[in-house]
Amino acid sequence: MTEASILPGLAGAADCSNENDSSCSDISNKSLRIAENAKKKRQAEAPLLLALKYFSQVKTGTPRNGNDELYGYLEQVEREALAQGLAPEAVSIMLEFAMSLRMTSAISSRVLRFLIPASVVPQEAVVRGFSWLCMQKLSQPTQVLFLRWVLSMFDMIDSKDNLRAIYGFIFSFVIDETMCPFICHLLYLLTLKEHVKPFRVRKLLDIQGRMGKQPFLMQLLALYKVFCPEMVTLTMPSKMKAGFKNHNSTWKVALAALRKRNISKETHSMELTLGVRQHPHRRKRKFHHLLVPALTPMMESSRSNSRKGVCLQQLSSFAELLDNLNSIELPAQMGSLLSSALALHYLDCVQDESAFLRLNFWLGHALHEEFLFGPVDGSSESMGEAAHFLSMLVSTQHFLQEGFSSTEGFLYKFLTMWDGFLHRPQILELLSDIPLVPSSYIKDVLFEPLMQLYFTSSVFFKCSVIECLTSMLRKWLTWHSVCAQEEGLDISLNNRSTMSLSLSGFLDSVLKLVQFVGRLTSVGLQLERGHTLLLHHALGFYETVSDMFLKYSLPLFVMLPPGVFFPALLATDPVSIDRLGYIMFRYRQNLTSAKEQQKKQRELSLHINRSVYKEFNTYLVAMVAHLWNSKSFSPRTGIEVSEALLERTKVADYSKSFDLIHHPAFLNYAIDFHQQCWPERTDVDLNSIKVGKYWEWYVEFLFTQGFDGLRDFIKVNINQASARQSIGQPLSQPTQPSQPTAVSSPSS
Amino acid sequence: MSLLFNIVISVVLYVCFTSLNMDDVARTLLQRTLRKIPTRKLEETIKKWSHLSRRQQQSLNYTQSKWILLQKLVSFCEDNELTVRHVSELEMIYCMENPNLGTWKACHLTDAEDDATSLDLMCFKEQFKSHLAELTRNVSIKIKKHENETIWIRIAWGENFIKPNHLKPTYVVHDLQTPYVFICNLSSKNKPLLYQTLVLATKHGSIKDAHLSGRNLHAVRDLLMGNYHQTFPTNHQRPLEEMSPPPTHPNIENEHKEHAEKRQQVACEAFGEGKVPKLETATYTLETRFRGGGSIDTLVDGEKPFRTVVQFASTSLLESLHHCVSSGIADAPVSPLLSSITQKGRNYFVITDKADR
Amino acid sequence: MKLRTKMLKPFRKVPVLNAANVLLVENEEHLHSRLADIIVQNEKDVNITVRLARKLPLPVENQDSRPRIDLVVFIVNLMSERSVQSAEQSVRYLDSGFFLGKVCFLVTGARCLSVSSTRLLTVRKMASSLHCPLLFAEDQTSEGVIAAAVRLLGILKVAAGLVPFATGLSLNSVTHCILPSDLEQNLDSPTC
Repeated sequence: MTEASILPGLAGAADCSNENDSSCSDISNKSLRIAENAKKKRQAEAPLLLALKYFSQVKTGTPRNGNDELYGYLEQVEREALAQGLAPEAVSIMLEFAMSLRMTSAISSRVLRFLIPASVVPQEAVVRGFSWLCMQKLSQPTQVLFLRWVLSMFDMIDSKDNLRAIYGFIFSFVIDETMCPFICHLLYLLTLKEHVKPFRVRKLLDIQGRMGKQPFLMQLLALYKVFCPEMVTLTMPSKMKAGFKNHNSTWKVALAALRKRNISKETHSMELTLGVRQHPHRRKRKFHHLLVPALTPMMESSRSNSRKGVCLQQLSSFAELLDNLNSIELPAQMGSLLSSALALHYLDCVQDESAFLRLNFWLGHALHEEFLFGPVDGSSESMGEAAHFLSMLVSTQHFLQEGFSSTEGFLYKFLTMWDGFLHRPQILELLSDIPLVPSSYIKDVLFEPLMQLYFTSSVFFKCSVIECLTSMLRKWLTWHSVCAQEEGLDISLNNRSTMSLSLSGFLDSVLKLVQFVGRLTSVGLQLERGHTLLLHHALGFYETVSDMFLKYSLPLFVMLPPGVFFPALLATDPVSIDRLGYIMFRYRQNLTSAKEQQKKQRELSLHINRSVYKEFNTYLVAMVAHLWNSKSFSPRTGIEVSEALLERTKVADYSKSFDLIHHPAFLNYAIDFHQQCWPERTDVDLNSIKVGKYWEWYVEFLFTQGFDGLRDFIKVNINQASARQSIGQPLSQPTQPSQPTAVSSPSS
Repeated sequence: MSLLFNIVISVVLYVCFTSLNMDDVARTLLQRTLRKIPTRKLEETIKKWSHLSRRQQQSLNYTQSKWILLQKLVSFCEDNELTVRHVSELEMIYCMENPNLGTWKACHLTDAEDDATSLDLMCFKEQFKSHLAELTRNVSIKIKKHENETIWIRIAWGENFIKPNHLKPTYVVHDLQTPYVFICNLSSKNKPLLYQTLVLATKHGSIKDAHLSGRNLHAVRDLLMGNYHQTFPTNHQRPLEEMSPPPTHPNIENEHKEHAEKRQQVACEAFGEGKVPKLETATYTLETRFRGGGSIDTLVDGEKPFRTVVQFASTSLLESLHHCVSSGIADAPVSPLLSSITQKGRNYFVITDKADR
Repeated sequence: MKLRTKMLKPFRKVPVLNAANVLLVENEEHLHSRLADIIVQNEKDVNITVRLARKLPLPVENQDSRPRIDLVVFIVNLMSERSVQSAEQSVRYLDSGFFLGKVCFLVTGARCLSVSSTRLLTVRKMASSLHCPLLFAEDQTSEGVIAAAVRLLGILKVAAGLVPFATGLSLNSVTHCILPSDLEQNLDSPTC
């Protein structure tokens, strides 16, 4: 790398500066000075070139104090760097100048601090930087600064093959205690499978023995383990702490500004991006905590095709992705994957463990350091940024149809200090994505914090929590029905985690979730005085629960609690009763088919508790007694009220008050029906509907009003034929919940 | 040791300054001064300085980078053949406009002579220059009158064989007919010289440290002269509407309202109201003995007084203290140690043990 | 004897129809007046009175004018050690009757855990040992303050007996803070 090759454009400028030097010696001559001024003006056109020329030629040991020339040039380059970024050659020169320590380390670190590349960092410059690092001349802070710079600019290094070639040299710095975290991070980004060698693993284990289980060492070892599981026998904790910190604080603002400028120049092909991609902000933003990095930013166009790795951002279509599937090189900032649909496709089909490990690490860091424990800053900008980030995460998880484990860890922490309002839609959405939680700690991490929030918040929050839990249950069940078919009973919960779960464990967790929602809904309805909206969300949950056996082939039957059943049965809106009818219908279908299967297969695994049948029968009796038989409040209907008390209400015919005619929810239908039957009658006598055919007609009339759930319920549970026989008394007997009764237990 | 150091320094300085010609000193001073002045203030200051021709001034482009601007200004000054005298004037202008760049120490003149009140500017100027010249050689003095009767004095100190060091000048600010002088950047070596000159020139008997210092000259001056909104202690409660925050809902009541009002009043009495002078620090040097339980033997040992320095620092100390008291962080009857900052106009206190007095 | 007169008692006065009274205790006085404004303005059906205080005990001279307190809220700012200490000391001046569903803690600044994790643990321990709910609030944004005020209002209405079928005690039994036994360990080594 000769100077001439780097700076072809400097030849002219060099001549000028030589003349300049000679003329400078004679200051007193005024005419010369004027001539010099004129020359200066000419040179001002290429001041940066001059400055770079100076830095490439300046000798070691040039005095620093009072060296205005140096400071002038330094300022010039700094200004240029912060405004536009430096061209690749300029980066090379300045890095060389800083690393060779030709001035003091104060100057070197100043240079490093403003060394912002405009497009790319030449790989050779970084390699030379490392060779200077090997000289051990630099002071420790400068060494660290250099490493931080390399880490921050990693995405902009034009290619990494030569860096990978000196992997061994870089690895050798790992023994230095102050540099170790940074070196580990760099190695983490560079490591390929061929780099994992037994002696390196031994060295790392040795250092770990000395320094303790440092997260950065653990992360690197985890990556090694992914590549060569046979070499690393260490067991990794399943939930690892975020290993590496972001080191880009020094350059964060400048880089973000630069990135923004470059983004606005580019034209995106919008077809393959996810919906929530943010449009570049017009306003200048101060913090970029939660900005998802662009997919390996702005460069690589110069990249030659001879290299074996292909970067994701080079690909523009799905077909190209398929062609290059085996030679994809992952970007350094794994977060950039989130914003690219193509990258997500790649992640989804390749199931690359190291990619997931790195993505999880990046995400965990972003969520914890920047959002959870980040500076509390109420500005709408940072809130919007966080909201956007979380939305992006939500859509990514939906795309992949699974939650990241780092999101899960973050949610558990965040739930314990959530105010129930901050980013509510996104948080609940993310919460519904979490994979199955083992029943041993589901209470601690999920139920307790949620319960405290749920009961102290408004009814709308309660509704959204129930909705979230419904969706969570559905996702668990779907996952189960897919996995169970594939792998039989021994289900490994998540092929990327060490956790595996047996069917009974799964049942246990689901049972706990259903019971938990049962508590939430019944106490919630009591607190909110049977709020209709909450009731509907609760019924929505039980629609899923009632169908678990038939729809998701999960042999689990949990009845809805009385705290939901009776408010729904006595609700003032007909839709609740209709949905309740549908739920009871589905319960019946599920129980019946389970019983049949039980008889057929005599499998021990399918065991249904007698109490479920008993509960179901109680509800069935209550429902039929109330709606059909006009026997409200009579014994064995679930609600028993002493007659003396009922007398005091002064309702004349209280036992009828909740049948299909007098039920407050159906009253207006009854009146409507009455008017249509007897348009000429002025006095309304609803009891006349009960007589003879009118009753049948009325029921048919109700069915035409869209009460499909009710129709299913009645058709299955009530013997219509017997209704036709008895006149005046619509139905004496519901088809006694004959089949799924407690009497007929599986053993019989 | 320090003497030796001084000598070494002076020799070095001597060598430096003799090796450069006058022009170079001026140029160094000019560059340093210009570097000190932020770009946004540069235009105004240059205009005030009025040593550049109108053409020159117009040709300056203040949106350019400072480094380029600086080069241009230096070349103009070279063209105009300006000397140290001119350049130090520029520095003085900037300093007078921005008096908050150094730490100002207040001094108190006492024992005024009879004719001290009739002193006029010309007389003072003459007296000051001649007295200081008598005491030491190679001093460069520049005296300017700022608006409203304030005299600004810039002194560049030299020594017998050393030319005045313009890079570290001392600034003195004095209002005629007041007993206070404010001094910035004075070395202890030159302190007696300046004190004596001041005493003689202002026709006073003696001068002593007022134990007050701060970065904001106006604040220091206001505090000493009592030029701020003071609240005097009263026994009767002040009317409510004066103090209470904007009216809130009638259903909201503060249990500690009276306490809060009282605290607010106490804070105002101690530290003033509204815009209080900006002080940065208050320092307490304690020279006390440890008393009390004998559990801590090491402290009781030897009956020797032990010294501690307690320093409160804030961007606006009085405001902070005010807030501390009004919000109840500090106890309500303000300690006289704190309240005497405003009452006595001091921010340096030595606290000695009563028994030692 | 002296302590007894300073104690705040829940049942010293008779309740007034359609009224609820809340006492907000905050040493810093940053948040409580903002909360009070929102609480008072948000409720139209019930006459809500808010009493603000820095700490307990309350001044004895206000005893007669002070209505029956239905809910005591301790606002703790985790950024300040003093705030935590003040709450710890104030709690002692509450009659035990309050702890049957008439006390809750509202914590701000919990997300900035780098400075306050030990304080958060202190407050958690205190709340769980007293069986009180522990709410979190985002006091940096006005939406966060409104959300917190609305939640407090909901609890207050239950505690004041304005919600049929619900009492302060019943609500307390489902919302009180529980110290997670060994959450971190569980997360690190799932045993299934």
